[in-house]
Amino acid sequence: MIHKFSVRSAGVAEPDIRELGRSWGLDDLEVWRDYYVEFVDAPDAAALAGVAAVLGDQLDVEVSLDQPLPAGAVQVAYKRGVVDNESDSIITVCGLLGVKARAGKVATGYRSASPRLRDLILSTRFNATIEELHDEEPRYDTLVPQGHYDKAAQFDLRGLGDDELAALGTAGGRNLTLAQMKHVQHVQITLGDEFVTDVLLEALDARWSDHCAHTTWKSLGGLLGRLVQAAKDVGNPNVLSMFHDNAGVWDFYDGHAIAIKAETHNGPSAISGYFGQLTKLGGVLRDILGTGLSADPIGSFEYTAIGEPEAPAPIKGRPDARRLAGETIRAIKEYGNTFGVPMMSSRMTFHPGYRAKPFALGGSIGLLPVEAAQRGTPRPGDFVVLIGGLTGNEGIHGASASSAGATMDTTAVQIGAPLEQVKFRKALIELREEGCMSALTDVGGAGLNSAVGEIGEACGVWINTALVPLKTAALPMWRILLSESQERMLLAVPPEHQVRAKKILDRHMVRSTVIGRFADTGRYHVFHAPDLTEEALIAAAPDAAPVHQGETGFDVAYDLLDIEVERQEVGPPPRPSDVVEWPELAPTQLAGLLEEVVADAEVASQHFADSQYDSTVQGNTWYGPHYGTEHSVRTAYWAGTPVAGSPAAAVLNTAFNPWMFDADPVAATRQMFVSAIAGQVLAGVAVKDICMCDNFYTPHLSPHWREWLVGMVDELAVLVRHFGVPLISGKDSSAGSVQTDEGLVSVPPAVFLSALGKVPHTDGLLREQWTTAGNVLVRVGLATSSPVGTVAARKLGLPVGALDDLELSDVDSYLTALAASRHLLRSGARIGAGGVAATLAQGVLASGIGVKLESGTTESLFAEHRVGAVVEVAPEDVAALPAELDPVVLGTLEGTLEGTGIVLEGVDLFAPAARDGWLNSFTARIA
Amino acid sequence: MKPTVNVLYLPGTNCQEETVRAFAEVGAQPRMRFAADLLSGAERLDDADILCIPGGFSFGDHLGGGAVAAALLRSHLADQFEAARTRPLIGICNGFQIAVRGGCFGKVGLKVNSAGTFHNEENQRHVVDSENDSPWLTGLGGQTLAFPCAHGEGRFDPGTETEGYRVALRYEKDSNPDGSFEDVAGITSADGLAFGLMDHPERAMDREVRLAFFENGVRAVR
Repeated sequence: MIHKFSVRSAGVAEPDIRELGRSWGLDDLEVWRDYYVEFVDAPDAAALAGVAAVLGDQLDVEVSLDQPLPAGAVQVAYKRGVVDNESDSIITVCGLLGVKARAGKVATGYRSASPRLRDLILSTRFNATIEELHDEEPRYDTLVPQGHYDKAAQFDLRGLGDDELAALGTAGGRNLTLAQMKHVQHVQITLGDEFVTDVLLEALDARWSDHCAHTTWKSLGGLLGRLVQAAKDVGNPNVLSMFHDNAGVWDFYDGHAIAIKAETHNGPSAISGYFGQLTKLGGVLRDILGTGLSADPIGSFEYTAIGEPEAPAPIKGRPDARRLAGETIRAIKEYGNTFGVPMMSSRMTFHPGYRAKPFALGGSIGLLPVEAAQRGTPRPGDFVVLIGGLTGNEGIHGASASSAGATMDTTAVQIGAPLEQVKFRKALIELREEGCMSALTDVGGAGLNSAVGEIGEACGVWINTALVPLKTAALPMWRILLSESQERMLLAVPPEHQVRAKKILDRHMVRSTVIGRFADTGRYHVFHAPDLTEEALIAAAPDAAPVHQGETGFDVAYDLLDIEVERQEVGPPPRPSDVVEWPELAPTQLAGLLEEVVADAEVASQHFADSQYDSTVQGNTWYGPHYGTEHSVRTAYWAGTPVAGSPAAAVLNTAFNPWMFDADPVAATRQMFVSAIAGQVLAGVAVKDICMCDNFYTPHLSPHWREWLVGMVDELAVLVRHFGVPLISGKDSSAGSVQTDEGLVSVPPAVFLSALGKVPHTDGLLREQWTTAGNVLVRVGLATSSPVGTVAARKLGLPVGALDDLELSDVDSYLTALAASRHLLRSGARIGAGGVAATLAQGVLASGIGVKLESGTTESLFAEHRVGAVVEVAPEDVAALPAELDPVVLGTLEGTLEGTGIVLEGVDLFAPAARDGWLNSFTARIA
Repeated sequence: MKPTVNVLYLPGTNCQEETVRAFAEVGAQPRMRFAADLLSGAERLDDADILCIPGGFSFGDHLGGGAVAAALLRSHLADQFEAARTRPLIGICNGFQIAVRGGCFGKVGLKVNSAGTFHNEENQRHVVDSENDSPWLTGLGGQTLAFPCAHGEGRFDPGTETEGYRVALRYEKDSNPDGSFEDVAGITSADGLAFGLMDHPERAMDREVRLAFFENGVRAVR
């Protein structure tokens, strides 16, 4: 029995609805929510009234029962196979009211007399991959998504030729190459089986995908190994774990450690900005939860690069950049805020290389005890326990399709449900503290197949897919195995702790199911046996082989699942040599240029987005993400004090500039790496206390992409060895080229760097806000004067050419001098996008103090000296600055923002129009 | 004996740790009360000197901020919640929304912010009402306290209610982040025992500000 409850404002529309109406030009717009509830039995009138009372429990809200969609109205709802996140809560509320419900569904209704309504919804409020649009009342027989179990398909590969193998490898959305299919053929022959199943093909498709197996990096000569070896050579004692767990782990203080990880979700975010970004952040938070024996996230960061907001999507039917921007903000807000982790840093970039496939990067850091920092190892006999959300028909082929740059279909979209993850977050910490787990991992890309397959490799494992709790009535075995339904974790729970673990999970209202067992077999065994119940499984002896009447998907020794990757030799990358010069501009022209520069998204306030992200939850945010009297200017670093009662701080900053990577990926890698270190040292962190996380995003169809990738990796290895700053975590995505309606679109070959540092006390950290009129501003650091890759160069239309080379010995001298001179610094701001001029502009905005410049040229003001800073020094201390800092006096702090701004030769370079541009340009482009 | 504080922990609560820390810092004995244990009868909501409903997104904010949690308090836990309301109670952010829907302040509402979305402000300034003699506000009247704001459904709307609540805090002039009626940032029940506010004193870096309200609440039950 399904009833419909429509909930709408009784009086004036709510502000968000009025704003939507304004933006659409529809003064009469009505928006409401329709809740469909499937009851187990027919509820009486009192029960329906009780449910209506809860749904309408707000001032000026009215609820109508079972009213069909009005004429002229349009309703947007999830497709019937997609489970609504609110379904569980609807069932819960009904249960509290004493009436049993089976499922719930939420839809949004719109009404206006305007004939444009439908088109407006379709273009801005509708995602065809997961939603359906109704012009009349939909008919539901049930709200429970249906599904059925298909017996596994069987294939005898023994007699197949290359063409047949290749065709089978790519059938049904798989992306197995001929070489991989030949290996499957070899597996069948070795096992002596009559056939292999689609379960095995699908499992191997995921296992051997670039996402899971890093085949591109392996084929180019063990690129990850080069980074790991460099870090090992350094021998930094702070490294507790690197590159072999879900996150790297860095020693902190007093028995604590910090995990760091950043992930990308580029493919899914191109299809649905909302769900792609939602699950991006959810996924990386889950990585932190699944590190060691579980870390607790203490901060998140986010970076998104998309195309220019004014440009259409290059693939028909895909969301354009403006829509992606809006959906990104909504997703990051909803996941991060709900999860309860402070946003440390967020930024959005508009670059044409990302118009077909965005760079959707999310990162997190988490706290854990040193003794729990190492990845656990399951023991034979431990239970395989799946916790968290239900498994549905979603995210299918997410890993392999994303890796292959292939078109992803409807079921590739993952649906995020942050509530599930919030629930098990603290449960995991409790399980860790009670010693209830021998190992755990997240269930992410490639679903259970990846999680079970990887964690089971230590000894062997078997699972019964019939025990996996589903969103749908049933699913084929391979879909259960490959589903990328979010918010799930996999635990190895020793039998003696199973009851205790279950009790903890129940207390946190976390769904948990024993689905299998680790075994001393060295084999990966998947079967579907409804007759083998969870109770029977738990009751069986730890070393008992599973006894069942079900169907086997595969049962293969792990060593048969390894596959050699063909090595590809590449030469050195081409390096640009053209030198680009800055033009000479008069002060009035410099003012005009500054107005353009500060309105660029790389410099402008992104307050519209930032203000929607909770930056203070947990109460540990000591510095950032904004500073200034109005807390309106973005800080160059974030610092938090995650250990209760301790002043020790974690310090995070990032470095990335896609325009520099456009020009010369290798030189850009050096500048970004050193820029991040210099920013940390300026803040107060010792070089030995810095580590980094790398996220490569490279095109796979543009010229020289392999050479650039190898060049960047080798450059990083050089830098790691030189500075002793190890990369301890990272991820590679090598599918940044997309065939579009406009032709091939490729991202720049690039690596995003996130640096994590630590200080024993916050007292040692340097703030950016100017303190005292009369003090002197000095530029320090290495000069990187080339206009290439700068915001100003783009505004001036300068050509692309060579970036500056940095001598590492010069960097050493600078960092040493900087660390030794910090007592002379009253404040200090890292020079970033927009160069010295933009740094000054933001300093003025933050402090309300004006600047009188001694001199200024296009180069001195707009070159982005990325290994430099603008520091504030008392007049009497200027002479004490060591020569190794290469100090250049810029001017004096005097006057006010309104009175002085940034004055050069009597001209205020930072006029009110420029300030307005800084404040409003980002919002105007995307909102 | 230290005063005891029951901190309600619901699926989706995410500010419990800083809230527990704040109560502990002022000498109370906070303990978490899990929804599952309350529903099973293993624990009670009303066996402490103070009830605290911390911030977060209980039940994912499904059906509206605090709606499911309030339904829980008004149904299975109604007697215990009523008993707890005879003693000091504080609801912060989502806890405030739950307390409002739970009927602590008459028929008032907390609605979607006037900007239509979540608003984060690291240094929101609040002025404590001088007329309100709630134990939570003792000695703070007229003071301006800066602490973080982070909410999406905090626009205070009194509707036609005039008796069930008293103003406790107002956003500083021209800084109203959510469009609340007359800049109201926090209210107490008519008897002053229940105190609700959308913003987060427990997150403030300044120790004095962070603990001001909690110190008062605990002092009142010593």
